[in-house]
Amino acid sequence: MSLHCENIVKTYSGKNVLHDVTLDLQPGKIYGLIGRNGAGKTTLLSILSAQNPATKGSVTLDGDQVWENRKSLSKICFSRELNANAESGIAAMKAKEYLRIASTYYEDWDKTLEERLVKLFDMNPKKKLGKMNKGMLSMITIVVALCSKAPYTFLDEPVAGLDVVAREQFYKLLLEEYSSSGRTFVVSTHIIEEAADVLEEVIILHEGKILLTADTQAFVDSAVHVSGKIEEVDAAVTGLEVHHTETVGRSKGVTVFLKPGQKVDESRDVSVQPVSLQRAFVALCGEEETRQ
Amino acid sequence: MKRNLKFWTRYNWEFTGLMLAIAAVLSVVAVFGAEGLDLRTFATVVPYFLCIGAALCILLSNTGTHTLYMPLLMSMGETRRNVLLGFHYFRALTIAVTVALCAVIWLVVPGEVSSQGLRSIPTILCVLIIASAMGSIMGTVFSKWKWLGTIIIIVICGFAGGTVGFAGATMADGLAVAKTMELAAYLVTMPWWLAAAVPVSLALDVAFHWMLLRRQEVKL
Repeated sequence: MSLHCENIVKTYSGKNVLHDVTLDLQPGKIYGLIGRNGAGKTTLLSILSAQNPATKGSVTLDGDQVWENRKSLSKICFSRELNANAESGIAAMKAKEYLRIASTYYEDWDKTLEERLVKLFDMNPKKKLGKMNKGMLSMITIVVALCSKAPYTFLDEPVAGLDVVAREQFYKLLLEEYSSSGRTFVVSTHIIEEAADVLEEVIILHEGKILLTADTQAFVDSAVHVSGKIEEVDAAVTGLEVHHTETVGRSKGVTVFLKPGQKVDESRDVSVQPVSLQRAFVALCGEEETRQ
Repeated sequence: MKRNLKFWTRYNWEFTGLMLAIAAVLSVVAVFGAEGLDLRTFATVVPYFLCIGAALCILLSNTGTHTLYMPLLMSMGETRRNVLLGFHYFRALTIAVTVALCAVIWLVVPGEVSSQGLRSIPTILCVLIIASAMGSIMGTVFSKWKWLGTIIIIVICGFAGGTVGFAGATMADGLAVAKTMELAAYLVTMPWWLAAAVPVSLALDVAFHWMLLRRQEVKL
């Protein structure tokens, strides 16, 4: 079973938000969907779950179209970020009502897990969504995502507004659920460093294009930060894929992505350091910096 | 589809409660205006208040349904087609419950007014169906083009206020059978154009919403 999208294009007012996105999500993995604001993460997840129509392209689950297909849609849960401001229709809805509707629509809803999570997050189910803060709304989306038991579950910024303890709880629960059920999760997040240990594969979306889909560890291992005097760094990284150059006076730092068999010339007077997932992401999607 | 029906059936019962509450308010207004209350006549008039309550509920439920429940259900993996079908099922159920309650009351309390009421059922059915279809379109217009929707809401509220006033005013002279029958007589004969308007309004409603729903993006 795999969820596949082919040549997805999404256009808003003549502007392409997604350009020919092709992606294959394999079962039993935790994917991290990372990208800058406006990269198209939520739009992509919305299209994969048929919540938004694509301008072009198709999404299939096991070869069946997902669009308007109840059977396929019952295997996908996109627990979207809730925006319960005063103008939003859901503001007047109580948390328990929202969860009741979710339990009606998701075939394999786990009521026991719902009760456990409501208790764990110390949620008040009688509280209206409009009266909840960002963190509490995130908890609701986490409860829906985990309790839905959908084989493909997407979470859009699930830790937004959560404090560090709640974030830890979420990652623990995610891993617990993943190891017991083997479900596929796609987590879109800005807090990359915390999620790095949980994500098996990383999908980097930049300006509406898939820049990279790779095993998280392999991706992080392939990147190194090289710093030193400008001429030494330039000589050490000749012929390598260089990103995110930072120049301060006569010093320079670059992030290098090494292909198999490649290495930095360490005979030069340079410092070579491993990088984190966040730094590797910034190197790919960030802008170059020059300071005097 | 079973889960979809479960949701919309429950939603219908919530609205039935509201509909009964509106009918009760109208009945109380009528009772206050009446002198020498005849319980039997009063009972036979209540179904008309029930119909007014149902029409108002259906009209007012549309905005919330289009702005909240439809996107919400789509966000939970329901297809657009099923959401639209479910919404029509909800409206059909609300109308069926209203008409059934009216029929039961008129059957339980026989008499001239009841007999006339039973003969009015086809017209009541047509009026409720047309009101629900037009109300559905207005609900979407309200959520998409707020300025126009505000005008429509003012008109509906005016209609609601006018109805309450009308109930009080017409009953001021007492709940006379003749008076009630005079008003209800308009409903006994169903004009052909009213019957013809039913499929037209339903087709318009479905076509309008399907055209929008196909392209609708879920926003909560």
